[in-house]
Amino acid sequence: MIALPWRKWLRLTIIYALCGVVLFWALAPIYWVIVSSVSTRAELYSAPYKVWFPSAPTLQNYVDLFTTGPRYRDGGFLPTADLMGAGMRNSLIYSLATAAAVTIMSTLSGYVFARMRFRLKGMIFFLFLLMMPLPIWVSLIALYFIMSQVGLVDNLLGLILITTTLLLPLNIWLMTTYIRDLPQDLEDAAFVDGCGRWQLMASVIIPLARPGMTAVFLVALLSAWNSFLVPLIFSTTARSQPVTVVLSFFIGQYEVAWEAMSAAAVMTMLPPMLLALFFQRYLVRGLTVGAVAGT
Amino acid sequence: MTLRSFEDRVFVLAVLLPIALLVAALIYVPAVDTLRTSLTNRNLRQPNRPIEFVGLSNYQRLLTGNEMWQVTERSLTVVALTLPLELALGLGVALLLNERFPGRGIVRTLVILPWMLPPVVNGFLWGWLLNGEYGALNGLLYQFGLIDQYRFWLRDPASQLTWVAIVQTWTRFAFPMIILLAGLQSIPVDLYDAAEVDGAGWLARFRFITFPFLLPSFAIALIVEFIASFQIFDVIWTLTAGGQTGGAINPGTKTLMLYNYELVFRDLRIAVGSALSYLIMLMSLAVGLFFVVRLYNQGTKR
Repeated sequence: MIALPWRKWLRLTIIYALCGVVLFWALAPIYWVIVSSVSTRAELYSAPYKVWFPSAPTLQNYVDLFTTGPRYRDGGFLPTADLMGAGMRNSLIYSLATAAAVTIMSTLSGYVFARMRFRLKGMIFFLFLLMMPLPIWVSLIALYFIMSQVGLVDNLLGLILITTTLLLPLNIWLMTTYIRDLPQDLEDAAFVDGCGRWQLMASVIIPLARPGMTAVFLVALLSAWNSFLVPLIFSTTARSQPVTVVLSFFIGQYEVAWEAMSAAAVMTMLPPMLLALFFQRYLVRGLTVGAVAGT
Repeated sequence: MTLRSFEDRVFVLAVLLPIALLVAALIYVPAVDTLRTSLTNRNLRQPNRPIEFVGLSNYQRLLTGNEMWQVTERSLTVVALTLPLELALGLGVALLLNERFPGRGIVRTLVILPWMLPPVVNGFLWGWLLNGEYGALNGLLYQFGLIDQYRFWLRDPASQLTWVAIVQTWTRFAFPMIILLAGLQSIPVDLYDAAEVDGAGWLARFRFITFPFLLPSFAIALIVEFIASFQIFDVIWTLTAGGQTGGAINPGTKTLMLYNYELVFRDLRIAVGSALSYLIMLMSLAVGLFFVVRLYNQGTKR
């Protein structure tokens, strides 16, 4: 290997040292919860000396979590198996359905706002955007009583509807600007061929807008999985509680079983972590582009 | 093109009507209802009392009482602690990742991770890290001889808000980092070359080129992070709020969003809670409207 000049070595050394510090800050809490989740209670509670890697890593905490498990309070004392299993299932249905609904609705309306002209268009667009900065409580308080009257409290459909609506404005905006910037000649050609609007969506717009739609889908998926306040209010039992809410119940009044709790936390953050590792480009773009344009 | 045909009209209606109905039924109608409730004496603790119109007295009670101001002060404290921390850290990491070196992409991916996790999990992660009996921070400091006995980091009410700001910073610093990194990468390289030829040192280049170019990115990061930390809820809920299982909510970190939750869903004082939600809206109105008008202009330009 060719010897680099010492200044280059020095520069790289400083850069990697700083990267080490930054990565320690960003990852140490995540590392620690993963270690905790595969440790035995005896080792975890071995204060004042800490073991930074378990001497005998075990998956027992995860097995317990989904089979018998310790009991936690959720009204009555429920075994974690019922709570965690239901929580993961609810979160999966909730976030996938929300992401699908947001993607379909924002793509269709993005096309309408980008390409069609009609009366009141500007006003409708503005009214959709205007709900974004409304502090969530302004709607949620009365919404709770409305939803309970129509039987949509503690109901996955209710959660999906609310979260979809909350995510729509920004994503409609994203798809509007995305479709507006697509080249228009393919659409014109399709019109000349006598193509209808629905057919045009299916055969021209959706194939062209796929990268934008992917970003919208992934951001909505992440946002719904991570959401907490809406489900905390609108889900009252394991029938509809997503895993973020289930996790918050593990923090008991008097005692927390940290090893089981850690396993539950890892299960909760695993899907977002995988999304972040594999689809970072889409997520970062979807999460920042609106903010940049808005200011 | 204008709507040429019956078919186009049906298309627009079929697309926009469901969305308009959702937004109206789930956002705007409840918002008006909440406003109406805020002008009454509705309280679910007294379900048999007739609901009467009481004018602005709920607002008056909130504005003249002590609690709302204490709560607002806590929210502003969180904002004041979080914003400088986040922006400084975001700028530092952005400057680091703006350098070229092997492995930069991996570092960027990993540094962003905390931002992608559910904030409610982040509150838990740090609660466990800072635990007084078995926490990792205690273990680390003890093993390095920096403390001689374990401490209950979160027990002291005076330091709780600081920890909330630190955890919020951990959760969100990736956002300013990315915005500032994009800003850095938009600076033309020849400016630096020219400055170097003119004999400008590292500091002068930062002061006269990097900093002015980054100001718009700073503004973006500031506004978004202001809203995020002003409306913080999830992180506090698992870190220091207490009362998850129905007990009292810890007053030390009771910020505006937690206070609103407590008023409505714990104390069942619906009318007062509704009034508070509108006061919070007024507080964040200027920032929010600015944001929306910019988005509207961007979205409707040709």
